[in-house]
Amino acid sequence: MWYNKCVDLLTVSVTARESAGELYTLVEIAGEADVTNTDELRRLLDEEVSQQPHTLIIDLSGLRFMDSSALHALLRVNRSLDRQGGVLALVSPQAAVAKILRLTTADRLIPVFDSVAEAAAG
Amino acid sequence: MNEGSYVRPGPSVSRAGVSCLLMAREGKTAQREPAGQEALTRQPVPRPDGDDRLPPSDDPVSYTYTTDLAAIRAVVHRYAIQAGLTEARAIDLTLAVSEVAANTVKHAKSPGSLKIWYDVKEIVCQIHDEGIITDPLAGRRQPSLDASGGHGLWIVNQVCDQVEILSDATGTTIRLHMNLPHA
Repeated sequence: MWYNKCVDLLTVSVTARESAGELYTLVEIAGEADVTNTDELRRLLDEEVSQQPHTLIIDLSGLRFMDSSALHALLRVNRSLDRQGGVLALVSPQAAVAKILRLTTADRLIPVFDSVAEAAAG
Repeated sequence: MNEGSYVRPGPSVSRAGVSCLLMAREGKTAQREPAGQEALTRQPVPRPDGDDRLPPSDDPVSYTYTTDLAAIRAVVHRYAIQAGLTEARAIDLTLAVSEVAANTVKHAKSPGSLKIWYDVKEIVCQIHDEGIITDPLAGRRQPSLDASGGHGLWIVNQVCDQVEILSDATGTTIRLHMNLPHA
């Protein structure tokens, strides 16, 4: 399972991976996520959540910017996964993205890792 | 942001997909300076008489935007660095302007305008649109992470040194001030 979609300034890639026998879904978000492409981002993320992954890892290393609309999309994924017994992890936010995660304390709610490998290891 | 505090006078402007098509064809991700940059109109702004809070002579610039927020962010970041803000504070100002401009995209029925000016003490970004903020405490209370909105103006208040919100029946003007490091 993989696909690569881009919405305006945003590119979202999804791959199914395995770490130590455990399957996880890796979503890479690149570009700039804001109110003008949040609906698409939310729809793409909802599709992944509906597959009921145990672990969903979102790699933010290619994301230069995220506004509060996009943050809400991530928080929504976190809530949905939480309800269905899954786990969300974020990886490698750049400075601007790390700032909004810190300001809103979203980084205390959702674990943030330095690498995909660390996130996959939990 | 602040879904309840804005009056939505009409449908929001539609989203353009040009950048995406360009990206797909060229097989690369978007650059910091987006393709839609040239669509911004830059024009000198005469100093309004009687407003002594505007800069005396520095070159205030004006941009009109609809949904091209990435272009607005690139402009703000460039001016913030040029004015002397550190990278971290330039990111803060860029985030703040983007959040305010996002309100225009979501709630106003017409384009917004952005003016930027700076002097030795501060850089100011002024955003105007025809949306109306009815909540006098908009952005002053920290919303819960479970809330579906309301973070935008709160973030703006956290990162800027001073925020002025002037809203009446004709629209809203928001001024974001960032102090410059002492020379």
